[in-house]
Amino acid sequence: MAAAAHKAPRTPIAPSPMSADSPHLRLGIVGVVVLALMGTLFARLWYLQVLDAPEYQVAAEIVQVREVPQEATRGRILDRNGKVIVDNRISIVLSMDPGAVRSEEERTATLVVLAEELTRSGKRTKVADLERRLADPRYNPVEPRPLAIDVDEELAVLIGERAEHFPGIAVQRRAVRVYPYGSVGAHLLGYVGRISPDELAELQDEPIAVQKPYQQSDEIGKAGIERIFENDLRGTPGLQRIEVDADEVPLRTLSEIDPIPGHDLQLTIDIDVQAAAEKSLAEQVRSVSSPGGSVAVMDPSDGSVLALASYPTYDPTEFVNGISNERFELLQASGQNPLLNRALQSAYPPGSTFKLVTAFAGLDTGLIDANSSYFDNGVYRLQGCNGSACEFRNAQGASYQTVGAQRALTVSSNVFFAWLGERFWIERDTYGYAIADTARSFGLGSATGVQLPLESSGFIPDPDTKAQRHDDNPEAFPDGSWYTGDNVNSALGQGDVLASPLQIANLYGTFGNGGRLHSPNIVWRVLDTTGDGPTEVVRELAPRVVRQVEIRPGVRDPIVAGLLGVTASQGGTAANVFEGFDLTSFPVAAKTGTAEVRGKEDNAVFAAYGPNPNPRVALAVVVEQGGFGSSGAGPVARYLFDRLSGQVPLEQAPASRPVIVVTVPEGSPTAPTTTVPPTSTAPPATQAAGEAG
Amino acid sequence: MAVITGTLASGARPRSMASPLRHVDWVLVGTVLAIASLGLLMIFSATRGNDATADTSYLARQATFASLGIVVMTVVASVDYRRVRDVLGPLYVGSLVLLVAVLTPLGSESKGAQAWFAFGPFQVQPSELAKIVLVAVLAHRLAVARGELDARGLAVALGLAGVPMALILLQPDLGTVLVFVAITLGMVLVGGARPRHLATLLVLGAIGTGAILHSNLLAEYQKDRLTTFLDPGSDLRGTTYNVDQAQIAIGSGGWTGQGLFEGSQTRGGRVPEQQTDFIFTVVGEELGFLGAGTLLALYGVLLWRVWRAAQLARDLFGTLLCVGVLSMLVFQVFQNVGMAMGIMPVTGIPLPLMSYGGSSTIATFVAIGLVLDVHMRRFV
Repeated sequence: MAAAAHKAPRTPIAPSPMSADSPHLRLGIVGVVVLALMGTLFARLWYLQVLDAPEYQVAAEIVQVREVPQEATRGRILDRNGKVIVDNRISIVLSMDPGAVRSEEERTATLVVLAEELTRSGKRTKVADLERRLADPRYNPVEPRPLAIDVDEELAVLIGERAEHFPGIAVQRRAVRVYPYGSVGAHLLGYVGRISPDELAELQDEPIAVQKPYQQSDEIGKAGIERIFENDLRGTPGLQRIEVDADEVPLRTLSEIDPIPGHDLQLTIDIDVQAAAEKSLAEQVRSVSSPGGSVAVMDPSDGSVLALASYPTYDPTEFVNGISNERFELLQASGQNPLLNRALQSAYPPGSTFKLVTAFAGLDTGLIDANSSYFDNGVYRLQGCNGSACEFRNAQGASYQTVGAQRALTVSSNVFFAWLGERFWIERDTYGYAIADTARSFGLGSATGVQLPLESSGFIPDPDTKAQRHDDNPEAFPDGSWYTGDNVNSALGQGDVLASPLQIANLYGTFGNGGRLHSPNIVWRVLDTTGDGPTEVVRELAPRVVRQVEIRPGVRDPIVAGLLGVTASQGGTAANVFEGFDLTSFPVAAKTGTAEVRGKEDNAVFAAYGPNPNPRVALAVVVEQGGFGSSGAGPVARYLFDRLSGQVPLEQAPASRPVIVVTVPEGSPTAPTTTVPPTSTAPPATQAAGEAG
Repeated sequence: MAVITGTLASGARPRSMASPLRHVDWVLVGTVLAIASLGLLMIFSATRGNDATADTSYLARQATFASLGIVVMTVVASVDYRRVRDVLGPLYVGSLVLLVAVLTPLGSESKGAQAWFAFGPFQVQPSELAKIVLVAVLAHRLAVARGELDARGLAVALGLAGVPMALILLQPDLGTVLVFVAITLGMVLVGGARPRHLATLLVLGAIGTGAILHSNLLAEYQKDRLTTFLDPGSDLRGTTYNVDQAQIAIGSGGWTGQGLFEGSQTRGGRVPEQQTDFIFTVVGEELGFLGAGTLLALYGVLLWRVWRAAQLARDLFGTLLCVGVLSMLVFQVFQNVGMAMGIMPVTGIPLPLMSYGGSSTIATFVAIGLVLDVHMRRFV
């Protein structure tokens, strides 16, 4: 019934009888086409979202997620008393990303506005200055390059707020090094600089780069402690994964790993002693018109370095935010090379300060004893040899009459030691190369192993090393034969003998402490000051004993007496230097040296330790072309002994900003954590570690 | 039975059995409302921005368009579709006048096409309305042939379609022209065009496409889009960027999507035109295969109901109206979704009921209204 009611009004859409070609059939075709098209869409959707989804998810990740490394604060450097001598501060840097600037006109317009704003903020800047910085060849074409450093906070905020007026300009806040004591300690502290592509490539597989990955824009220690202790000072960078939109505008942080600051270093250096050494050295060098000089001050009880001064010096602040190529080349190229740390990177003939070694060799081998004497008439002639080339004279033509080892040291008799030099050569079948052997046993001729880069090992000649040197490089060393004169020259610390000021200080310290040769330490402890609690000691660098040199009383006594006489007795070469100094409470064993340098004025050398016995200070001073050791280098030593003995108060080193003193755990580098019995020879492992450091 | 009921209800019941209100296709209505609601949600997601307080301006405007569309749909459905024939002449001429007027300074240009009339913040796109007019005009012309379309009848139909197409090509709006082509093809097929004529049309169409590509009728960017699609090797960032980002968005949605308002490509504004031509990418990225598949299924239901209405129609005019709407919808869905998924070239065609835009939303509702009209009046 209902069906009938429905059918009744219905008329076929086509009046003609249903043919094979009816609209209904054609509608069927349309339906099939619609089905096919929708089926295609479904298939494609399935392919994209189910089969290929992982691939697209990775693609989406690449498009949307940026990994931004977070720079970690570099550790600070403290002196032995906890005073901060290298710190960090925030520097605002404006840089321009050349890729983000659309046209030449836009760039120029931006630079004009930027120059105006910089000038208004107090940094006088011309557009040409900015153009020059933009053209800095140190950066590759796509890298953002700094246009202005240490920008005013107000200007940075302004640029941040009105970014559309400064297209391509980025405001960066970077932690940079700051030196409260200015150039004091510059040589030993070193500096940081942008990592070079070579360094980056070299570090690729190093454990530190794996653990603390480097970026092209990162800074790395380039010299001094900053370089050697890079591993400790460098923090572990953090990583921020952020989602960005099509215009690289950050939308949200997906995950964040906080950067971990680097560890602080506590040095064995006392910044006040360091400043005193530098001040005194600078004054002395200038007063004798010397091209340069250096001072090494050590504590012989544990081999820690108290001060290392080198003149001329440089201002490490110049390296903050990058030093220009021209300026760096100028520093390096100047004949005086202020970047050179003369205290350990230069080797000088030690001159008469070497007589300690010759006397030691003579007494120790039994060639002479404390009572052996020689008549010094002012000139020594080699046996069977005539002419001035075979003559060795005392300074200023003096003659000291009958001298033994002790007196010969006190007055610095060249004749006496020339006599020893020749006798050692004549009796070489009995004594071998006793002078060279003794020198080496006190650490001369090889690097001390102090934790600083590019240390000179000096040179201790003997017939073998001289021949070896000739064989290796015949052009530079045309004569490989050894003559009697070579032996005599060596005995006087002349000729081919070379030692760095640090080696000379270590020689005197080792003799003074009873023969315990140290590898000098300049870093005492690695500290972690980042926690809430008290400063933690991460690592302590124990004193490193290289070997124990046996010093028999029969050897020690005449030498000590002779060296004490240098400062204390009538005729002692440094008696005038120590005039007015209380030697009874603080006996100083010293030796002057006036080292001849071919074609130049003599170098003034001074080596000493005190108080005797149980010395706490050993030092060496070299003033290039400074003339006599006593007058040329002696005043620096006196200045330091005055203060290190407490006879003159030690001035606080002048600082350009408030000095921060970190509360450090109790202790001193003197108290060895690994006790080394004073008489035993250090195990080889210690020595190896020392050389590695 | 008829007698009994007739006796019992004194003739009132049979009339009520045929009453249009009893034959409303509620499945179609429900499907349309479901798609339009999902469209509102997706437009909101694409335009809310990343600030704490979401931008609801697009949502509000589109909701207004949709409400207006529902009203218009109801009005259209309530008037007997056969009465449309009485006003076809003025409608057709009126649509041509608008298409001419939009090319004059009265119209305004956006995205390279002179296709809009601007009324304050609102823009009217006359080509969207011309689509519906063409469907009605062709349905009438083809119905006259009673399913036996000879060459002359075909030529008249093509001529009627050709005039608005030529005007739209001058804007130039290639996408809408292609919709006209689809409508015309579908309708002449069902209208009874001879196989020989259809084959000739296809050959001529192919030659015409080639000619257009080599002529100056299309702007360079339009040619680039088409040829990049044909040859993906010519990978210029400018032309494939949209498609690449769209596919990354859809592909990264996976099975369940990244969650509503959580799509990274959407949040990052990486897919241009996301609330209009690329709305499908939002569905794909945020709702995943489940959501996008459901949407395609809804379109499947929609198309099935329109096809069914064409089948059930009382007369050939009604059938052809539905076929015109069917052709329009299926082409737009396939072209738009296919473009977002990288299997069709990039042309600016809105996704019916999903894409943001007043003209296309209202035009689609009018078209659905016509189908409802045909369906509910299949007994009167």
